Amino acid sequence: MLRFWPIWVLLLGGLFYWGMQRPNPNELKSVLVGKPAPSFSLPLLEPYRAQYGPEMGIGERVEKPVLLNIWASWCIPCRTEAPLLERYHQQYKDQVLFLGVNVQDKESEALKFVQQYGLTFPSVYDGRGRVGIEYGYYGVPETFVIDRNGNVLARHAGELTEAQLQGYLRQVLQ
Amino acid sequence: MRVRGTDSRGAALWNRLLALGLWLLAIALAQPTPNTPPPDLSPRVFEIARALRCPVCQGESAAESNAGIAVEMRRIIAEQLAEGKSEAEIRQFFVQRYGDWILYEPPARGLTLWVWLSPLIGLGLLSFGLWRYLSRVKAQAKAPLNDVSEEEITRLEAELNTERSS
Repeated sequence: MLRFWPIWVLLLGGLFYWGMQRPNPNELKSVLVGKPAPSFSLPLLEPYRAQYGPEMGIGERVEKPVLLNIWASWCIPCRTEAPLLERYHQQYKDQVLFLGVNVQDKESEALKFVQQYGLTFPSVYDGRGRVGIEYGYYGVPETFVIDRNGNVLARHAGELTEAQLQGYLRQVLQ
Repeated sequence: MRVRGTDSRGAALWNRLLALGLWLLAIALAQPTPNTPPPDLSPRVFEIARALRCPVCQGESAAESNAGIAVEMRRIIAEQLAEGKSEAEIRQFFVQRYGDWILYEPPARGLTLWVWLSPLIGLGLLSFGLWRYLSRVKAQAKAPLNDVSEEEITRLEAELNTERSS
């Protein structure tokens, strides 16, 4: 057995290398990718009701691609992500629906956050984070890209950079 | 006087022991028993949650964590149990949303089958190596004398002669 030591070393080395190839948490693939996005309808945060109505969500059919962003006011990366999302919402609002889902939060804190960052894209309130579980989320922020057919195109765990956001928008608008 | 003194000392000792006992009992009663479910959820909920990961925690199950998501997972389990769903159906609910990753025990199929088979394969390889080694040792012990090289015999004889002469 020891005669074959180079093979053993190669095998163990290969196994080690394979084990180290852990996916980047930001690139965690969702089991929902390629499947229809789970439907939901939740009450909108108060500032958006005048424009969008009392409730909003994802139905079986979507009018345009959706960028579903799960956030919370206590989440630090959400604070750097929010202005970026707002900027791109202003730019793409006719082509893509930016929809926020506020989870595991107090509504009053969520309202303060919305006001502080001047967020004009609609956000629904899910205090218990049930929609997050429906989408299989790992934490906040997390973004799901949903195409015109209502299928999940991608999931991004963690804060979005401008380049990543541009990439997702390009992908969904193709 | 001496007798009364001994009595009073004994009584004082008993009082102290009693106080200590009561104090320990109070501490024991004040400590929450770890991992006991809160009264609103049945132990069955925690039993199922123990097999599921808490998605936002490091090495904690959905039964142990107090993160909001784990609390919600327990609530979902309780609701589904009340609806009459089986443990397998509830587990499937989470697998459909998170994949097999959510399970603490990977299913014995596909890539994760290796996780289950590797200890057996390792044990098999170890047994094979041990068997090979032992059979070689046994064969060497049983080898007839004429298998020993001339050079070896000369060396051994020289060694024996040296021992005898000394």
